[in-house]
Amino acid sequence: MKRSTLWKRVISAVLSSTLLLGAALATEHRADAAEVSGKIVIAGSTALLPLTQQAAKEFKKSHPKVKIVVSGSSSIAGPQSVTKGVATIGACDWDATKAVGGFPAYKGLKAYKIAKIPFAVIVNKGNPVSNLSVEQIQDIYEGKIKNWKQLGGKDEEIVVINRAKGSGTRVNFEDKIMDGHMIKTTGDNYKEVQKSGDMVNAVASNPNAIGFVDLAYVKGGIKAVSINGVKATTANAKSGKYIFYGYGYLLTKGEAKGADKAFIDYILSKKFQNGSLKKLKFIPVK
Amino acid sequence: MNNQAPGLHGKMSRLRIRRLMNRLVLSIISIISATVFLIILSLLYMIVRKGLPDIDIHFLIGLPEEIDAGGGVGPFLWNSIYILVLSLLLSLPIGIGAGIFLAEYAPNNRIMEWVRAAIESLASVPSIVFGLFGYALFVEYFQIGVTILGASITLALLNLPVLARVSEEAITAVPSTWREASFALGATKAQTIVKTVLPAAMKGILTGISLVACRAFGESAIILLVGGTSSSGEMWDFHLLSEGATLPVHLWYIQSEALVADAQQIAQKTSALLVLLVLFLSFIIRFPLWLSQRKKRY
Amino acid sequence: MEKLSPDWTEATRLLTAQRQRWTTKYRFDRLFRFFCLTSIVFLIVVLSAIVLFVSKTGLLVFRDVSPWEFFFSSRWDPEHHRYGAAVFITGTLYVTFVTLLIATPISISTAVFIAEMAPPRLQQWLRTLLDLLVGIPSIVYGYLGATLLVPWIRKLTGAPVGDGILAAAIVLSMMILPTITRITDDALCAVPNEWREANYALGGTKIEMISKILLPAAKSGIAAAVILGMARAIGETMAVVMVIGNVAQWGFDLVTPSSVLTSHIVMQILNVDFQSTTNHALYMMALLLLFISISFIMMIRRLRLKGGPSS
Repeated sequence: MKRSTLWKRVISAVLSSTLLLGAALATEHRADAAEVSGKIVIAGSTALLPLTQQAAKEFKKSHPKVKIVVSGSSSIAGPQSVTKGVATIGACDWDATKAVGGFPAYKGLKAYKIAKIPFAVIVNKGNPVSNLSVEQIQDIYEGKIKNWKQLGGKDEEIVVINRAKGSGTRVNFEDKIMDGHMIKTTGDNYKEVQKSGDMVNAVASNPNAIGFVDLAYVKGGIKAVSINGVKATTANAKSGKYIFYGYGYLLTKGEAKGADKAFIDYILSKKFQNGSLKKLKFIPVK
Repeated sequence: MNNQAPGLHGKMSRLRIRRLMNRLVLSIISIISATVFLIILSLLYMIVRKGLPDIDIHFLIGLPEEIDAGGGVGPFLWNSIYILVLSLLLSLPIGIGAGIFLAEYAPNNRIMEWVRAAIESLASVPSIVFGLFGYALFVEYFQIGVTILGASITLALLNLPVLARVSEEAITAVPSTWREASFALGATKAQTIVKTVLPAAMKGILTGISLVACRAFGESAIILLVGGTSSSGEMWDFHLLSEGATLPVHLWYIQSEALVADAQQIAQKTSALLVLLVLFLSFIIRFPLWLSQRKKRY
Repeated sequence: MEKLSPDWTEATRLLTAQRQRWTTKYRFDRLFRFFCLTSIVFLIVVLSAIVLFVSKTGLLVFRDVSPWEFFFSSRWDPEHHRYGAAVFITGTLYVTFVTLLIATPISISTAVFIAEMAPPRLQQWLRTLLDLLVGIPSIVYGYLGATLLVPWIRKLTGAPVGDGILAAAIVLSMMILPTITRITDDALCAVPNEWREANYALGGTKIEMISKILLPAAKSGIAAAVILGMARAIGETMAVVMVIGNVAQWGFDLVTPSSVLTSHIVMQILNVDFQSTTNHALYMMALLLLFISISFIMMIRRLRLKGGPSS
């Protein structure tokens, strides 16, 4: 008898929660219909995700009627989702309206340059090497230089770390630093990681590793090396003396309209560019 | 007499060797097991120790921060629970219903044997396969993007075969005399199943549910593909089409992408929270069972 | 005696009520049966839809790539239209093999300890602990692997990176240990006590009882446990991604960064176009995973049919 009451209780719990859920769904649905015109869906680059999420948070305060959905998976998902109509704004680490880094040009999109992103070539903090020329970095990634001794460091094998294909940082690295030279993607000293944070962890935990990452991530157990004798700082990237930087783009299908336009305008506004954007260690474009 | 002595002596020494072997192997086994449990316990202790002391209510329900330290994991915790409940709501009736059919109604023929084989095989199919299916269905085909809805349905699909199998096993294990007794009292088949068989099989079914719930709660590959890596950034968001990143995915995101200053601490706190919640979850699902068993004892 | 004359209206009422009760009773019976039938049909339809869809998308890869290249070439380079998946297939099998090499002996000894040597109270505790461990999210294991295990392997072996088959196998061993141990434990407990007593009566020691009676008797149960662990190891994704190094190259020396089917799928899937050959190749890999894990379960079923006290 007792067991059957238990069973009954389980069933009634399940039923009542189903009902509750149904009610919740019904109300949600109505709310959705009322604000359908003011919905922004952002998809794409995870490197820009902190920026878009912060902007969305601030934007919601001044525009409480607009609903913003922010998600991040990979740079290439930005232009793809906008083309398909899944997202209204796509975030991408390169200008996807042009063919870059083996990816096709996406026609019919409009790209808005929202931030300059400084990158850094990073090594472990304990590594005595603090300056590399572009040629040296190319040789390392092509597998021609294999030991830190050849660069004035310790007699240790260099561990080369790369991002997975499709990473916006990798596209910029191949574009700005490798400049047509092919990265050697095999060997027992080579490894690929998925995300910027993985890159930081990989280099921080391995004294002989070299990698590359957004300048914003440089802290803790890693350090940025100077490139061609120019220090990796936001100031040098801003002035253009430091060559390893790229731009973050927001993409829309045709000209941005309505809520999308308001959102992009907000990101481009002085307040955001000089406020949160700088705090996140991006460089204002204006 | 004389030639028996060496034989006896030999037997004695063989016995001693056997005893020695016995002691030796048994202690090796004990040492291995002790090491295993020591490692497990110390890992668990380390995870909980590093994260637990800093967990406060703000961390549990607060919104995540992108710039400043001190953000919470509220929306992710909420998504975890919401998606878990939704997926269970979808999969429990169907899974258990299918289990009942297999155990009670299914004819004993070759086709049913095939169905059983198929369900058992699918119960251990890698979750990434289901993830790819969900990704293709919801993100590519329906184009609703990464959502709580998609993640819940995909998780429910992942759990269906497991549930069907576990319930079938638990129901088959109920002795047929119980059913006969119920029939003899004039109950129909459905009444027999609901009132006699299911309560008797409850222990097995609840263990299965606990297994499935923990699996759904800790699943990351599916959520990553179908639920996304972020949340709607609001607390108590019931909307089914919001992004559905859960705690495990958030741990992965914090570890691999976040810029926020206290990422390391958040990762530690999140792992501790995950471990504690899994313990809590399996406890809560088995709790009614434990209670009824206790009552019966007296 | 007055009520001898039949009250027809009353009788009809009673009869209708009775019939009504019967109809509701049997309507519920039919409804319930229908519900169960619908569930199983739904289950079958949905699951076959998944298998069909993955197969259909996966097999599209052979429009552009020859099966020979896909299965036997080790060159994965989508930019130059090379889709050799041999590295990932071998990697998956190899990782699973190494994992079993580590996990099986440890799990079986632990199971023997729990089933035969631990005092009842401890037994209960250890079983509960193992049951809980099954539920710990794989990403937590991956996190521990990446932060603790990989630097340790690097120090111990002198490998430059430290990620690779060995790291993945150790993490996976940790993850499948509870599974194998618990099922083996169940199989050992299913061996009748008389068999144990017979051994002692004949003067056998405990370890002789374990090795000559218990383990052979529970053979098929243990095999099922190992295969189930294997299925879990093959399908694990996120924990492996964090420690394997993710390079499309052979990793036979255990510490060279390599790749397996699951890790490769999750690394690439978000970065490819849905209609591309790369995407089809990834679905083909998923189909392979499906196929491998199904054949494992078929093996378990075969074992169970053969029988043994644990079945």
